[in-house]
Amino acid sequence: MYARPFVLALIFFGASLSGGASGQAVVEGRVALPKSRYAPVVNQRYEVVAKGGVISLMPPLAVVYLEGTFPRPAALPVRQMVQKDLAFVPMLLPVQTGTRVEFPNLDNTYHNIFSYSPAKRFDLGRYRSDERPIPSEVFDTPGLVTVRCDIHEHMRGLILVLNTPYFVLSDGEGTYRLSGLPPGHYVLKAWIDSRTTREQAVELRDDTTLRADFP
Amino acid sequence: MISPSKPKRAELPGFRVRLLVAMMLVVSAVTILGLLFAQHRAAADVKRGLQLEFQSELDAWHAIQDVRYAALAERCHALARKPRLHAALEDDALDLLYLSARDELSDIMEPEGSPVETGGRVLRARFYRFLDARGRVISPPEGEEVGRLAPGDEARLAFNAVPDHAQTGYLVRNPDRADETIDEIMVMPIFSTETGEAIAALLLGFNPVELGGHRTVTAMRSGLWLQGHLHLPSLSAAARAAIEQDLARAVNASPPPENSMEVEVDGGPQLLFYKRLNPGSLFPPTYEVCLYPLTESLARQRRLLWQFGAAGAVLLLGAFFASNFLSSRLSAPVEKLAVDSAENRAQRRRAEAALQLTSEELQRSARFSADASHQLKTPVTVLRAGLEELLAGEKLPPAAREEISTLVHQTLRLTNVIEDLLLLSRMDAGRLQLEFSPVDLIPLIEGWLDDFSVLPDALGLKIETDLPPALAINGEKRYTSLILQNLLENARKYNCAGGRLRIAARPEGTQAVLTVGNTGRPIPRAMQEHIFERFHRGSSGENIPGHGLGLNLGRELARLHRGDLKLTRSDEAWTEFEVRFQLAPTNPAPSSHGLV
Repeated sequence: MYARPFVLALIFFGASLSGGASGQAVVEGRVALPKSRYAPVVNQRYEVVAKGGVISLMPPLAVVYLEGTFPRPAALPVRQMVQKDLAFVPMLLPVQTGTRVEFPNLDNTYHNIFSYSPAKRFDLGRYRSDERPIPSEVFDTPGLVTVRCDIHEHMRGLILVLNTPYFVLSDGEGTYRLSGLPPGHYVLKAWIDSRTTREQAVELRDDTTLRADFP
Repeated sequence: MISPSKPKRAELPGFRVRLLVAMMLVVSAVTILGLLFAQHRAAADVKRGLQLEFQSELDAWHAIQDVRYAALAERCHALARKPRLHAALEDDALDLLYLSARDELSDIMEPEGSPVETGGRVLRARFYRFLDARGRVISPPEGEEVGRLAPGDEARLAFNAVPDHAQTGYLVRNPDRADETIDEIMVMPIFSTETGEAIAALLLGFNPVELGGHRTVTAMRSGLWLQGHLHLPSLSAAARAAIEQDLARAVNASPPPENSMEVEVDGGPQLLFYKRLNPGSLFPPTYEVCLYPLTESLARQRRLLWQFGAAGAVLLLGAFFASNFLSSRLSAPVEKLAVDSAENRAQRRRAEAALQLTSEELQRSARFSADASHQLKTPVTVLRAGLEELLAGEKLPPAAREEISTLVHQTLRLTNVIEDLLLLSRMDAGRLQLEFSPVDLIPLIEGWLDDFSVLPDALGLKIETDLPPALAINGEKRYTSLILQNLLENARKYNCAGGRLRIAARPEGTQAVLTVGNTGRPIPRAMQEHIFERFHRGSSGENIPGHGLGLNLGRELARLHRGDLKLTRSDEAWTEFEVRFQLAPTNPAPSSHGLV
């Protein structure tokens, strides 16, 4: 219910990030997503799925990001992953390394957010919606972090920590658009699940839109 | 004469004893059968009661176990859903697995080295381990309080693959040693929240619940039988081996989930119940074995037997006295009867002997009179012949002639007496049998009347007759006429001068009645009884010829004719005799005599 507007917002946000003096390269294309076992329905609720040790989102979404060495910004915006109706929103949150993520509790029950993922282990303890300051964590190690609630065993969220400011979530069909990119030679990667990340080398030019599909 | 009844008296107690014995036999048989039946029923009831007791105790015990198992299973299930365990398993954080589990399982784990608590101990785990997706034991980190297990024992907990449903099993540690312990293992698979696949398993080792010493009601014991070994420490090794064999045989023959049988344990019978504890488990099949001693049941049965035996003895004693009383009561009339009948028999024998004697005497006297008559007849005939010869001679003076004529007359009388006596003696001896044929009375009477008319009538009698033309009776003519002759002769003789004589005959029913009356002197009433006796003569008739046999002979002959001769009237005016004969069968052809 909340996922899709958020995705669109992220795309918009990613595009706005590129708004700088260093040019306006754009990459767009389509990531071939694994077949969903769910029939596509409107207002599809996303789930984090761990199968055979592979964590993915269901129905699948991809995160496309540009790998490279980029100057680290002085301050990164604080991101939020809220708990609402006993679910994490959004379910998949890509962030740049060093980003602080807040976990506000919008339910009128306790939650206990924790993660055992190697990229970030934390345990926020039990808190309610009136907890101030909002419990948060800084994610400074790239990797996939599975966020769980100790009280509600079905709650699952994913935070993909990326060492780049240029990333975007695809839509349900796998199409993406990444704009405001600096020109140059890079590797463009598409994260599909915890085990599958596709990549291809791209050469970006100013004011050029590159078409890059991930078959 | 009384001697034959003596042995009878000696046999009488024999009858009583026999009756008593028979009654006792019947009563004993009935009592013994009844008691046997009752005892059998009671023993069966005791046994059934005991089995029910055992069964109910067992059921209660199983109910406790079921509740405990359900509690443990629920607990394990809840543990297997813990997000931290899932996180550790799914998020590549196995190093945090046991750490997280320690918190989660802190309440279920038995504190190591702590004194044994009594309450809740059966819900406490001794150790826990995790199995990975391939069923292998995930080794706990050093120092983590997961319960100590020898490496060999830990290896025995592994599976080929992680089980997809809860498993129950038993782990025997240090088998056949003093510190042998059995752990009840519960394995709960941990399923992926999303796919439902088993990704790991939580394995917990519990204290097996034991039939502790606090169960004081009965001496029920329980143990486990797995992989051919019985773990019941309170049993001797030999008894264990025997039960192991029995169990193996019973389970191999047909493996029912539960059953019971009787076994001998250390010389005493015990009821054994076994039940598969982990049906469908990947662990080796384990059976719960409960032993329930039947010694108490046997003791109760023995006590019952004694009670029944005592009751039977009392009953039989009572029955003996009752039988004795009854038999004496019953045999009393029989004994009296026996005595009476013995006396009767003696009396009868006496009477028979007397009768025999009398009969012999009678025969002898009859034979004597017959012999005497025969012996007398010839001399009398010779005498008369001699006298008649003398009378025929002409040399005799008239006085002598008169005398001889009287003598001849006397010999004739003597001959008549002898003939009558002979006839009577024949009748007395029962040798006289009449040959019946129809005899007409009327010609016989008329014949006598003819004879009478030619005799000199000294008395001047007037004779009246009232006779039918013919009256045939059943008789033998010779003796019938003898009766008539005697009767008519008497009527003539004992009449007064110028008297009347009346002869009447008529049929009456099946009889012919002939009455002969005269105007003789009356016979005194006292004499009337005796006139039919032999050699009786009326006191007034000394001057009248006769020998006193006529009426007697007449009556005897009339009776032989199936009739009778009676005096019907005797007074101053009239004396009348009546003789009755049987009428001859009516024959339409009148006798030829009737016309004479």
